[in-house]
Amino acid sequence: MSETQDPLAPLLAEASADEQAGRLDAAEARLAAALRQAPEHPHALHLSGIVAFRRGREGEARALMERSIALAPDMALYHRNICAIYRALGRLEEGREAGLRAIALAPDDAHAYANLAIIHYDLLELEEGLACSDRALELSPELPDAHFERAEVLLLRGRLDQGWEEYEWRFKLPQAGRMLPKGEVAQWDGERRSDGRLLLIGDQGFGDVIQFARYIPWAAARWPDMVAACSAEMRPVLAQFPQLASIHDRWEDVPSFDAYCPLSGLPRLAGTRVENIPGTVPYLHADPARILHWAGRLDRLLPSGLPRVALAWAGRPAHNNDRNRSTTLERLAPILAVPGVAFVSLQKGPARSGIGAYFGAAPLLNLGPSLETFADTMAVLACVDLVIAVDTSVVHLAGAMARPVWTLLPFAPDWRWLLNRPDTPWYPTMRLYRQTAPRAWDELAGRVATDLAGFRDEIQRPRA
Amino acid sequence: MDLRACACGSGLRHLRCCGLDLATLSPPGACEPVRPLLAEAQAALAAQPERAEAALLALLELAPGFEEALRLLATLRARQGRAGAEEVLLRRIVAINPNNFWATNDLALLLLRTGRAAEAETHARNGLRIAPREAQAHNLLGLVLTEIGRPHAGEHHYRQVLTLVAQPDAGLLANLAWNLKSQGRAAESRAVYEQATARDPNLYQTWLGWARLEEADRRLDRARELLGHAANLAPEDPGVRMMSAILTAREGRPEAALAEIDRLGDHGGQELGANEWVEKGRLLDQLGRPDEAFAAFTAGKAKARAALGHGYLAEQAAEQARRLRGFFTADRLAFIPRARPAPAGPQPIFVLGFPRSGTTLVEQMLSCHADISAGDELPIIHDLTQAIPRLLNSPLAYPEALCELWMAEQRTALDRLRTLYLDGARELGAAPPGDDRDGEASRPTWFTDKMPLNETHLGLIGLLFPDAPLIHVLRHPLDVVLSVFANQLTHGFFCAFELEGVARHYALTMDLVAHYRAEMTLRYLPLRYEDLIADPQASMRRVLAHIGAPFDPACLEFHANPRHARTASYAQVTEPLYDRSVFRYRRYLSALAPVVPLLEPVIARLGYRIEAPT
Repeated sequence: MSETQDPLAPLLAEASADEQAGRLDAAEARLAAALRQAPEHPHALHLSGIVAFRRGREGEARALMERSIALAPDMALYHRNICAIYRALGRLEEGREAGLRAIALAPDDAHAYANLAIIHYDLLELEEGLACSDRALELSPELPDAHFERAEVLLLRGRLDQGWEEYEWRFKLPQAGRMLPKGEVAQWDGERRSDGRLLLIGDQGFGDVIQFARYIPWAAARWPDMVAACSAEMRPVLAQFPQLASIHDRWEDVPSFDAYCPLSGLPRLAGTRVENIPGTVPYLHADPARILHWAGRLDRLLPSGLPRVALAWAGRPAHNNDRNRSTTLERLAPILAVPGVAFVSLQKGPARSGIGAYFGAAPLLNLGPSLETFADTMAVLACVDLVIAVDTSVVHLAGAMARPVWTLLPFAPDWRWLLNRPDTPWYPTMRLYRQTAPRAWDELAGRVATDLAGFRDEIQRPRA
Repeated sequence: MDLRACACGSGLRHLRCCGLDLATLSPPGACEPVRPLLAEAQAALAAQPERAEAALLALLELAPGFEEALRLLATLRARQGRAGAEEVLLRRIVAINPNNFWATNDLALLLLRTGRAAEAETHARNGLRIAPREAQAHNLLGLVLTEIGRPHAGEHHYRQVLTLVAQPDAGLLANLAWNLKSQGRAAESRAVYEQATARDPNLYQTWLGWARLEEADRRLDRARELLGHAANLAPEDPGVRMMSAILTAREGRPEAALAEIDRLGDHGGQELGANEWVEKGRLLDQLGRPDEAFAAFTAGKAKARAALGHGYLAEQAAEQARRLRGFFTADRLAFIPRARPAPAGPQPIFVLGFPRSGTTLVEQMLSCHADISAGDELPIIHDLTQAIPRLLNSPLAYPEALCELWMAEQRTALDRLRTLYLDGARELGAAPPGDDRDGEASRPTWFTDKMPLNETHLGLIGLLFPDAPLIHVLRHPLDVVLSVFANQLTHGFFCAFELEGVARHYALTMDLVAHYRAEMTLRYLPLRYEDLIADPQASMRRVLAHIGAPFDPACLEFHANPRHARTASYAQVTEPLYDRSVFRYRRYLSALAPVVPLLEPVIARLGYRIEAPT
């Protein structure tokens, strides 16, 4: 059906514009009107699927898109888009099939290759993923998504030197937004400077800030006058670095500076390779007065004599890989079933609701609502025997404090955890637990539970 | 002229009754010319009630606000069984003259009789405000407070009567004795019953109350003997006969008990009341006749609803839950300081749970521990929710009134509220002085508060006692719902009055608990009734570890605990653990089918399954 012959084309174009502008109610109204006129219109169904997906109605989105594909099986765009929906739903094999079909139908569509590269990453088909990114870049050399995906594969494989260069494309991703300062000031190239001021920026997520804060002394050795900009939550972390003259959480409060550098850019400048990752810990410490406060609180709230294990099972929902890295408390049931352990939830945000549905035998203290700042979290980490958490800021904090921490990773982990190893050069006290298949939390939780029983037996001691 | 008779049944014209504009009434002095009609009615009331009625109607036609005539007509209508008209007339007197003590007294008694205890309390308190030196004002408030589960406060007012009258009558003593029974003070109650029967051995109610005391105190033979006295005086009284059936059942003869209840129904073509139906249902259940048992429960609940005039107040319950969920959120609570720990003295353990979940059993076991005393059902948390707007000087209702805690003047208010709770608990006898050991009086370290549905206010409890152990007793939801339906309870917006109401309120309450648990740091321990039955020692070890108390094997010998639990479970907790109540729902699955969809989510969340009988 060509647009010139399609009487619904103007209406659908408006609906599409609404969708792209985030006016989802208006888009839905137009699409409903279109479907009343032509219930089997493939493009109306497809657009409706996109809107349903953005509304969080993923099952409905999939059904709508599958219908549109059944009606117009040769539309490459439909296959390209459903690829992302299959990924969100964890149906990676179907996503790969859709992605392959999309590039078969549109062999010159760089976006289709970039989409497929992500699915290959999720399936740990890294050669195929790299090939897709390379092909996308042949077709569109400035496509940030493809560069970024390429960076992820290189870094994950431990080819850090190559990876860092591609990783610089992260600031050109559409969602990178306001991470960097506006204006003409240049990004620092790592050269030694004795005059002027360097602004370090706590970019990316909390975990990244915690992980890369270790480079602050290295940077200070090259440019002594440094200030930092970060979100307010990160103040207790960066405040532990005396090299920073001041810390700011509002752009308008940042004093003038002569160059800037995101914290996540420091490993590249420092020439970091797997062999020379600066893994000296601890580089973060809890405040002794807070430790005293939280130790007393935990003693009052938990039975004595049991090892204390802190838990966190979900990260920030807005994280682009949250569906893979986060799980639910329910899925960790084998861990909670280990007898003789008291659990302390550090979970924040909506995933906390799982605690209301926990009725197991082991004590589970919901400490998340009482943790006002990362300073509190650090103090609690100092009071527990072990931290078990998914890939979220808590594991970085525990690692940076040299606390025993077990990190539960998705099948295709974030690049920083590398491949096929039970440990990480970034944090010597951390043990990594990797899924054996995408979203296979049950098997992983079972393994962790077995190890936890051993850990309990090792450290069991009376706490009076 | 509008001659329509009033629909309320008073016998007056509508315009002289419910259609009356009180502003048009003449002043009291202006009514004196019609007083002879009142004298005529008073004289005729006993022997010629029709003549008395005619005189009163004539009088009230001329002077519709004449208080003495209205009260006499109310008395007449009460004798005729026209409670609706009686109530209308009494309410009119109180509206015309809020200082009329006797009308206030009669109205409170009527409300109490018809199951509206909360409103009765309001009028009883007014009565005392009107006439603080009137013995009946104290007696009335004592009666109401005992009835609404505040016997400690009720006792104070009964004792006030003793100071106001030279020679207390047997009825008052019987009231006091019943009050003491309600507090679990069996020996004192027994002594007062002895006095009461000595003063007037012809009051069957006194013998009946005493028999109930002995039955609760496991002295079945003595109860039977005392009931004999009551039966001699009032052989056909339904209460006496019902008590006989209850005793027969407790003696282990359910079939004979059932026959007694059936005969009660046969007598004079009278229908069984709500209590009788429910008791009958329980006996049928015991005899393995679940279909008939459920039918009896259903009949009982229909009777109870008819008497109350409504069933589960679903909208009120949902509104309360909505407001609590809206207020108690982690974000808001981060800005509310918690009360500081109390400096000294016994601290509360909250035994939470929907009625019929096993909270009485858990309290009975815990209170066998050397360091724990039983506080029973303390109404203080509920009272605080009512008093918080006033105590915090807030224009808002609870829970929104807690916003005042942000104001400078109220920043330590939670400490005051916590002290109020602890003082209240002490006054209610929750933390008594302990035994004299080694020459030193010991006090318990903890006391329990097992007020049903306290979990509705878990947020407030968490603010007042952030470190208090919270033991949440869980049981298969279908067992809970069935058991509540098989008992006469008024907790939880009258949910027990209909099967769906129980299920809805159960689900609503559990959702609320889940909300609090997600939003707050609470020292919360779920305890399954089924686990407690299957392995009491492991369960009690777990509970005591949570509380921070050493294990005490005495907790497992709870049935030897001489303490008298005064809730619906009292007979059960005097037996060793039994498992006949575990998964009882299976025999009632088809009857419970209508509420299964309401409960399925919470059943799954709790990890239970729905299984048919094997």
